[in-house]
Amino acid sequence: MTKSILLGYDGSDSANDALEFAVHLARAFGAELHVLAVARPPEFGDDVETSAVIENSRRHYDRLLRGARAKLAQEPFKTHFQVVVGHPAEQIVRYAEGNGIDHIVVGHRGHTLFERWLIGSVARQVIAYAHCAVTVVRQPS
Amino acid sequence: MTDIWTQAALWMGLALIATLLAIWLRVATALSEIVIGTVAQLIIGAALGSTLLAADASWLKFLAGAGAILLTFLAGAELDPVVFRRQWKQAMLIGLVSFAAPFLGCAAIARWVLEWTPEASWLAGIAMSTTSVAVVYAVMLEFGLNTTDYGKVVLAACFITDLATVVGLGLIFAPFTFKTLIFLGVVVVAFLVLPWLTPRFFRRFGNRPSELEAKYLMLCLFGLGALATWAESEAVLPAYLIGMVLAGTVGKDHALIRRLRTLTFGLLTPFYFIRAGSLVSLPALAAAPAAFLILLAAKITTKIAGVYPVTRALRSPRQEGMYTTLLMSTGLTFGTISALFGLSHEIVTPAQYSALVAAVVGSAVVPTLIANAFFLPRHLLNKTPESDARHAPAVQPEAAARRNP
Repeated sequence: MTKSILLGYDGSDSANDALEFAVHLARAFGAELHVLAVARPPEFGDDVETSAVIENSRRHYDRLLRGARAKLAQEPFKTHFQVVVGHPAEQIVRYAEGNGIDHIVVGHRGHTLFERWLIGSVARQVIAYAHCAVTVVRQPS
Repeated sequence: MTDIWTQAALWMGLALIATLLAIWLRVATALSEIVIGTVAQLIIGAALGSTLLAADASWLKFLAGAGAILLTFLAGAELDPVVFRRQWKQAMLIGLVSFAAPFLGCAAIARWVLEWTPEASWLAGIAMSTTSVAVVYAVMLEFGLNTTDYGKVVLAACFITDLATVVGLGLIFAPFTFKTLIFLGVVVVAFLVLPWLTPRFFRRFGNRPSELEAKYLMLCLFGLGALATWAESEAVLPAYLIGMVLAGTVGKDHALIRRLRTLTFGLLTPFYFIRAGSLVSLPALAAAPAAFLILLAAKITTKIAGVYPVTRALRSPRQEGMYTTLLMSTGLTFGTISALFGLSHEIVTPAQYSALVAAVVGSAVVPTLIANAFFLPRHLLNKTPESDARHAPAVQPEAAARRNP
């Protein structure tokens, strides 16, 4: 029985598709929906700029989540919205563990070769480390 | 003027390429600017002559120097004075250990392994001792530790480490004369007056399109910078200290800080970091890579030796402590400032400067790669009960969670 769904959300097209899928899932199971956005600092950071990137990224995701919150305002299920800082995959898995999530939904989008080499795809890492079911929503080609 | 505009366009073109590269690779723009500067000097120098970039033109040196001063001021202004006052004893201890271990260790290795002169060895120690506060701050946010006593102590300690670095840079190489006394006297007066005067002055005349705040701050920074160089010290020393004493007032004005960042990142620091990179000699590095590799290994090893036991003593879990320690090894800004100070004051040779900058760049990349390869994402999972207890509040959903109608 699915009681708690976590959506990893970054405002991209694939994340919006994942949002729609997560909403269907939450309606079907009467589950609560957690929407998590992850502000990422630079991989190799430096003074001042890293703080600026985090601040900017947090403002960006706060705006995005306000939009998502408005979109879900009429839904009958309970919703939670949170912006955290770090690497998306680890923060999603960590949040899921800490909040008793039993289904994670993430979008899937292309990464540059460098990003794949450096940290791997977010979806792949979530699948590898999550303690619960994971659904990766692919965009229709 | 045509020459100047052409050179300015060339440098801004390089800055744009560096920024695009930084966005694509998700790395600090400073890092890509240093690399672009090095590569551009090599390619443009070989193809069109080494004078085309004109890294020693006086207008360019001014912009680069102003970039270093403003960047240092902004770094100092990130201090949280409330936390610092509450935790200063512990922070002082950790910060000084984090400074002293790499400073003494790298200086000793430069002197006795690389056989550099005593002055060049001290400079190597200074350049290798820094820690990027913002990178550690990001790690603390990631762990959810920024609101805990542990996180606050570590962050305050990073400021002490950087303060020790700029004080060391400003005073070790300066001859102690009556000029030094005058400089220190004026600095003390400025530190007493500025925190009182600045907020009142801004309240009375600030918040106008004429950007009075930026002009006032630059007057203070350039004025004290001039006094510092007159005393044969370094202009970033008063800049960092002014940043720290104004952190509780100017540092809290987020709109002003954002405007200063726009000025600094948009115009000034590209000249600083690209210039720092353009002065690196790749042929010299390739001819003798041992110095760079030894300094890099020495920095990481001495940081770990100095900081890791302290994180354990503060009861940080092993993996988390190592992850924090590794990321405390980064320090591009003060590392390059120290190296460039050494080159411009002829304390180090161009080959030694190249090794230092390469080690500074390497220390921003290698520890992060190690941390990501061996600790991500496992360092946040499979936690000990101790870390579970401390992590718990950080993953709670925000208070705005609600039942929809």
